[in-house]
Amino acid sequence: MSKSITLNHITKIEGHAKLVLGIKHGKVTRCELSAVEGSRYFEGLVRGRRFNEAHEITSRICGICSCAHVIAAISAVEDALGYRPTEQTETLRILLTLGERIRSHATHLYFLALPDYLGYESALAMASKFKPQLHNALNLMKTGNFIIKAIGGRDLHPVSATVGGWLKLPKKDDILQIKKMLIAVKKDAVKTCSLFSKLKYPNFKSSTECFSLVDKNGYAVLSGEFTSEKSSFRKNQYKDFVKEYHQPRSTSNFVVKEDHAYMVGALSRINNNHGKLSKDAGKILRSLKLELPSKNPFHNILAQAIEMVHCIDEAIKICSELKISNEQVERLELKKGNGVGVIEVPRGTLWHEYTINDNGIITNANIITPTAQNLLNIQEDIRAFVPFVIKKGKKSITLDVEKLIRSYDPCFSCSAHFLEVNWA
Amino acid sequence: MRNIYVFGNEYIEQDSLAKRLASCIGTRLNIVYCTSPEQILDSEEKEILMLDVVKNIRKPIIIKDASQIKSSKMISLHDFDLGFFLNLMKAMGIKKKIKIIGIPPKGNISEIAKEVQQWI
Repeated sequence: MSKSITLNHITKIEGHAKLVLGIKHGKVTRCELSAVEGSRYFEGLVRGRRFNEAHEITSRICGICSCAHVIAAISAVEDALGYRPTEQTETLRILLTLGERIRSHATHLYFLALPDYLGYESALAMASKFKPQLHNALNLMKTGNFIIKAIGGRDLHPVSATVGGWLKLPKKDDILQIKKMLIAVKKDAVKTCSLFSKLKYPNFKSSTECFSLVDKNGYAVLSGEFTSEKSSFRKNQYKDFVKEYHQPRSTSNFVVKEDHAYMVGALSRINNNHGKLSKDAGKILRSLKLELPSKNPFHNILAQAIEMVHCIDEAIKICSELKISNEQVERLELKKGNGVGVIEVPRGTLWHEYTINDNGIITNANIITPTAQNLLNIQEDIRAFVPFVIKKGKKSITLDVEKLIRSYDPCFSCSAHFLEVNWA
Repeated sequence: MRNIYVFGNEYIEQDSLAKRLASCIGTRLNIVYCTSPEQILDSEEKEILMLDVVKNIRKPIIIKDASQIKSSKMISLHDFDLGFFLNLMKAMGIKKKIKIIGIPPKGNISEIAKEVQQWI
């Protein structure tokens, strides 16, 4: 008996993706996941622009994770110019990134992932029965938004962060207000962990390698080595290990590490950094008795819930210790160079690389988003997962596969690249 | 001073009129430019006053019930728009009266401002 499933528009994810699945005699004969977003051309757009424009332009790759692209672009440009930011600059960048992660995880968990597990079509359909849970979500989102606005100057596409420092520093009152809100909202993050720990996740184990940044100084956000349980390498070596390639069917690059698919995201971060979680996040993780490293991609949403508690604790710690001094933006000496910025963002590891000439003009750029890195892995997971649910009807298989895809929290809008053309 | 929550995107012509109009509608209101719908949760007023562009209208209208607004099922985070959010608030039982001044995507600003004044 053969089945063919084509999902032309996979819902409750960012952007547009398509899956073609062929099943014959109980075996998966075809499995093709593609990003079908229009080409974005961002790497081309920054070529010819000044070094201090990259973060403003690439921020527009995504409204959901605009802070991520701002900070990754700035880090790459500073790396190219041989500049190391001050401790205060770095700390504020971490705080901005944590705020975005709280907002993004809360939205994804409650509005895109949870309806699947509770049997609803959308968050709106479940709103009347799950009021307290959605209140938690809104509180968490509001806190994340406030952090981004107070530190970044706007809640979308932040404008305060720049190459060499901060154009506008937050006031002492802003930091106090952030801390107050974080303390108040922590209980909602803990409740989120409790809610997501009670959901029934399919028992599936991927054969993947989980990569994330690992930093000896703590739960990595803006620094560290790209590490899995098997290997580790420094950011400037990434092209020796990570390869991008195109498939004619997809506008997003596919990415492999030494010819194999790999996974990035909250689950990878927890797998590689669980010993560095905050006290309360670590306690919650241990209470779940999750076998680590977990290779079940459905656990990525559980990992996001745990990360929210950690991010809140980390942000509270930063706000408690931070004494803002009136640092001016450093005027950097222009020189040619190549730099890589790699940071952990809501959906996984984000890479920006820029080559700059003597006049500060960007001559080359490369951006690898978390979803581009996860794309092949998601496809391979679908291929491996479908045999477990193959006896179900087409509708159930479709829902299970959609749940699997959504558990990665993919963003296909961000992953879409332009196709390279070899002109004859 | 009463808040008016103004929505829209100044970079998209068809969605920019509410933000351009806001500065012309008098000084009796505190204008709050919103980039995300959950900002209205901060409102402490019994009735939330909003200004937004409405597709397919030629004259300003008043909307007082969220069910009048077409809302998506939220298939992505980009669908987290005002319509979705107001319907979510209603479904969650967040009891706040709403008054949305809906204006057309294009038109003469001073004429639209005059018509809008009656609802402020």
